[in-house]
Amino acid sequence: MAHSLSPECTPLKHAYDSCFNAWFAGYLEPTLTVHEQREKDKNPRDYQKRKAEEFQQNCGKVWESYRECVQKAIKNKGLTEVLDQAREENPLREPPPPLDIPSHGGSSQNSK
Amino acid sequence: MHFISTSFIYDHSWAHVVIGMWHKYPHPHCSHVKTIDTVDRSVDSKTGIIRTERIIGCKQKAPMWIVKLFGGSEDAFVREISFIDPSTQTASVTSVNLSLSQFATCLERIQYTPSSDGRTTFAQSAEIQTRMNMWRTAADKLENFMAERFKQNAHLGRAAFTDVLSTMWAVNKQQGALS
Repeated sequence: MAHSLSPECTPLKHAYDSCFNAWFAGYLEPTLTVHEQREKDKNPRDYQKRKAEEFQQNCGKVWESYRECVQKAIKNKGLTEVLDQAREENPLREPPPPLDIPSHGGSSQNSK
Repeated sequence: MHFISTSFIYDHSWAHVVIGMWHKYPHPHCSHVKTIDTVDRSVDSKTGIIRTERIIGCKQKAPMWIVKLFGGSEDAFVREISFIDPSTQTASVTSVNLSLSQFATCLERIQYTPSSDGRTTFAQSAEIQTRMNMWRTAADKLENFMAERFKQNAHLGRAAFTDVLSTMWAVNKQQGALS
């Protein structure tokens, strides 16, 4: 795993990343019993809500400590202002529209 | 303005590529990527979409003329926002530079979607643009430099991710072939 901005946050970052990765793999590729699969198909919203709660339960605590540490690191590196400015210019709260996909393996470039 | 766009197929399922996304760094091909921090993450309990905001710290030498003109240093930071939507199987990753952003921006977009044969289509675009109030020659030079740097790094990034994915899922593949 990569390091954190500040070495003192790295152990917390690793703990949080491991927690997220474990949850995420199960989120995308769930190993469900027949019964659970039936419940999921019947009511996908309930399933999603439960998984979101599970993430909070599993990783919420380590996230709080990691976030506190990394916020401090951002401030110490003098990144607060540029980050705020970037968020203002491009909030990206919603998924962006789909990209046009050039033909496979293709690439293009132009400058004006 | 420079506009670059490209596409590629990864030889893995969408789920495997998107799980692999979080394991891409550190990688010897991309030794310029030094730090990665998640600064915000939410899981929408209604849509199931995961939104993640990260800050990526890079160390890459900038040419002397850039350092002289713009005061840049070796340390550069990038803000990255990703959306992963398991229900539509779409992952989109948008990145923009935080360093030197008062002079120019490089806005990169990546999208992973399943291809029809169970593999994954990677589409990438980048827009490199200098801010308006700049001396033209310097602006052009800076744009060209950023476009070249982008292409080099994109190439390294693809090689690294191909490597990571085949390492991560090689065992599973063998097991799959045996079972």
